[in-house]
Amino acid sequence: MEIKITSRQTLNVLLILSWIIFAGLCIEAGGFIANAIFAIANPAVVTRLWQQIDLSALFAYDHGHFFAVTLIMSIVAVMKAWLFFLIIRILHKKDLDMSQPFNKKVRIFIFQLSYVTLVIGLFSWYGVKYTRWMVEQGVSMPDTLYLRLGGADVWLFMAVVLFIIVQIFKRGIEIQSENELTI
Amino acid sequence: MPIIVNLDVMMAKRKMSLNELSEKVGLTLSNLSILKTGKAKAIRFSTLDAICKVLDCQPADILEYREELS
Repeated sequence: MEIKITSRQTLNVLLILSWIIFAGLCIEAGGFIANAIFAIANPAVVTRLWQQIDLSALFAYDHGHFFAVTLIMSIVAVMKAWLFFLIIRILHKKDLDMSQPFNKKVRIFIFQLSYVTLVIGLFSWYGVKYTRWMVEQGVSMPDTLYLRLGGADVWLFMAVVLFIIVQIFKRGIEIQSENELTI
Repeated sequence: MPIIVNLDVMMAKRKMSLNELSEKVGLTLSNLSILKTGKAKAIRFSTLDAICKVLDCQPADILEYREELS
């Protein structure tokens, strides 16, 4: 018996995956923010909260730098969650019409993805630079991998690729509308 | 658009309704309406051929070039 996988089924699987990733990213972003709040309220608890992102050494060194790093990490985490929220939203709205894929809504969606990806890339890149600078100052810092700031170049590359795809989509929409008005 | 579609003029000459032309040509009413109102971006030769056959006319009777006044 042959099993045919339709695009609708693929999209449903992607929707489930997107939900799982979105939930994970929301927990991650919440964890970073909770860590920062506990650092102010009860610094002793921070070491027991999230072992991998223990920034207690940085907090002891300078509160300002601690909040700057936390802010960058939080922005990156929130933007990643926002990225998947956009994906979930378009899949739920059923805007991905496979019979007419080149529509304005999809173009705006890819355009938003490219911008969010660019912001993630820029903040990640700056965060890595900032963390390295802090290490040079003699502060014990966790690895950028644990701070979820790695792969800035990949995010920037992805933003450029998405932006190119948007331009191709723009032309695709024009061609599709012309085709619709060809009698 | 400097290309004018005179389909309505030709239909009036032949005393043919849009419904009748739609049936004879094999086009939907909405598509024929798009063509008649000049909203169409292009016309297929096969469509033009069918219209000319039904209305017993030449393509030039339906399509006209008029220079745009800027």
